[in-house]
Amino acid sequence: MRKVKLYIKLLGALLLLTLVLSGCSGGGDVAKEEPKVLRVSMALAEKEWEIMREYVFPPFEEANNVKIEAIQVEASDVPKKLEAMAKAGKMEIDIITQDNMALAPLVEKGLVEDLSEYRDRIPKEVLPSLIPVGEFNGKLYFMPYRPNVEITFYNEKKFKEAGLTPPRNWDELLEVAKAFKEKEGIGRVAIKGTLDGNTTCHLFDFIRSAGGDPLVLNDEGSVKAFTFLQKLYPYLSPVTKKADWNTMNQYLANETVYLGQNWPFGVSVIVQDGGKKEIKAYHGWRGPVKESHVLGGEVIGIPKGTPNKELALKFMEYLMSKEVQEILVSKLAWPSCRSDAYGQVEEWQQPYFAAVNKALAASEPRPNVTYWADVDKALNDAFKEIVIEGKPVKPTLDKYHNILEAAKKK
Amino acid sequence: MVTKQDSDLLAKVIKFLFWPMAILVMFFLLVPVYIMVKVSLSAPQDILTQHPPFLIHNFTWNHWLKVLKSGNLWLPFQKSFVVATITTVIAIMVAAPAAYVISRMPKKVRYTVILSLFFTRMFPEVGIALPIAVNFIKLNLLDTYTGLILAHLVKVLPFIAWILVGTFETIPEDLEQAAMVDGASRWTALTKVVFPISLSGIAVAAIFTWLESWNEFTYALYLTLSQRSLPLQTYYYVLRGDWFQSAAYSTILTIPVALVTFLLQRYLKSGYLSGAIKG
Repeated sequence: MRKVKLYIKLLGALLLLTLVLSGCSGGGDVAKEEPKVLRVSMALAEKEWEIMREYVFPPFEEANNVKIEAIQVEASDVPKKLEAMAKAGKMEIDIITQDNMALAPLVEKGLVEDLSEYRDRIPKEVLPSLIPVGEFNGKLYFMPYRPNVEITFYNEKKFKEAGLTPPRNWDELLEVAKAFKEKEGIGRVAIKGTLDGNTTCHLFDFIRSAGGDPLVLNDEGSVKAFTFLQKLYPYLSPVTKKADWNTMNQYLANETVYLGQNWPFGVSVIVQDGGKKEIKAYHGWRGPVKESHVLGGEVIGIPKGTPNKELALKFMEYLMSKEVQEILVSKLAWPSCRSDAYGQVEEWQQPYFAAVNKALAASEPRPNVTYWADVDKALNDAFKEIVIEGKPVKPTLDKYHNILEAAKKK
Repeated sequence: MVTKQDSDLLAKVIKFLFWPMAILVMFFLLVPVYIMVKVSLSAPQDILTQHPPFLIHNFTWNHWLKVLKSGNLWLPFQKSFVVATITTVIAIMVAAPAAYVISRMPKKVRYTVILSLFFTRMFPEVGIALPIAVNFIKLNLLDTYTGLILAHLVKVLPFIAWILVGTFETIPEDLEQAAMVDGASRWTALTKVVFPISLSGIAVAAIFTWLESWNEFTYALYLTLSQRSLPLQTYYYVLRGDWFQSAAYSTILTIPVALVTFLLQRYLKSGYLSGAIKG
């Protein structure tokens, strides 16, 4: 019986603690229906949230007598959340900034407002090339906000030790990969080979650089790109299969990889936080036809059914304003969607920022097609079969071309 | 045919290998935890190198301090702790009497009931999370403790009932009958005889429920907006934080889990029933 009492006491104590904590929680169950609350969904790192909370949100809150409730939602989770809210008939998020690689599901499922009638609210200083990113079937669903592009990181110290220079074209890329493999017995160049959106992004760059169209996939450029990748693959680092937007930083920082492409946020992760000043960056290499980089970044969308649409539209304009874009450039070193917002960045960041701008100049938006999931799968399956498994290039690409044609007609 | 000599030899081999094997298994279990703790307490130059040292060379509390000061620890911890504890208490209160009744049913009926309980868990969670979330949002349960507790109960109740049915099955009915012969009511027999000797099973069920709720991710993702639970916060750190803060955060999170498991594991004793119906 003593044990029973002890157990009951333990349970009681735990419950008491829980109730105390619950009481301190500030009323998690209290309905949040305060007037003029704008719920904004973004996917940011802690440092980026600090800038938003300190510099971006307060002027808007003051000017519009509104309280911004910021919510962290990753791009891949946005469709799930919005779908649940839309089906329940209670849209609790008023405005989203969303990765432009993850827009199609939102449009396909009818989760975002058609913003075509607000097209004239896009400031004339916004780079025109950014607008088509938000268009689907001639309608504008998303507004420009934050362009982004992958840059090429390399370990300056290791390159100097090997007497190499960062590659500027495909031939040099192959030479560098071969040289490191011969010198160290293991590949030190990596591409993102996780067979998902990360790989898709790289494949777009390679195919377009060779003059191909990833949506066609068996044209001359695509054949050239896959043939080159098949040749390059044996000299790549074994971590290529695990390298994505997150792990690529880690591999560069711990010197598993000496050359790899990633988004510019790697600068703050590797150089600023990790203290690896020997990791430098440049815009990248060109293919046989041109240099090409997928235009990434984020756009602004308004979920269907939000009760605060007018306020959300105002906030959308505010995010595109010179005032905000200048803050994002100077405080976060984000490339701007406006041509007139380039403020001063810290001196150590300038070479990286220059690399971003140069890569942006050679960037192309990804096509907005509703069968994007099929494109993504076809490209990655083709990469797996041709590059990893060594299957013949043309017949395999013909197979995936047919799959894409069928998807187009669906 | 195994001779006595053979079995002696086998016993000697087992005795000889016991500690080396135990140490080897412990090593593989503990090394990942050690690496996590080590990264959380090391300066970047110890980790961001081709051949990181096994021991900490440049010790720092900086990553822990950053996490503790970030404001991202206490509120998610509070939410997860409250939700996991209330879920556990409610689950035990609901499932224990139900499991007792099921365990006293005829064998065929018992297994039909248990199977029907498990039927609700046969669907993949990601498949049923959306319709459940839709209904919870309609009921204004989005971003509330109540919503998350109810969702977690959906997940854990069938399992906990199954565990407890197994526990109650091992308790001989003779014990209750003896108590009732001595004048106890069925309720008294249940609370004063059956439940006390099924504590080990209840403890297992409680640990299981608490940890399931503590680690639950899918429902939390759908039903949370502003105040994240710990798994969501960890997900955020892994995706958006740096490696050192991710390691510090994960290390800090491991502490309460280790404590709860340590506190409750004392009740996980085998042979609880030994001697219960003797003499």
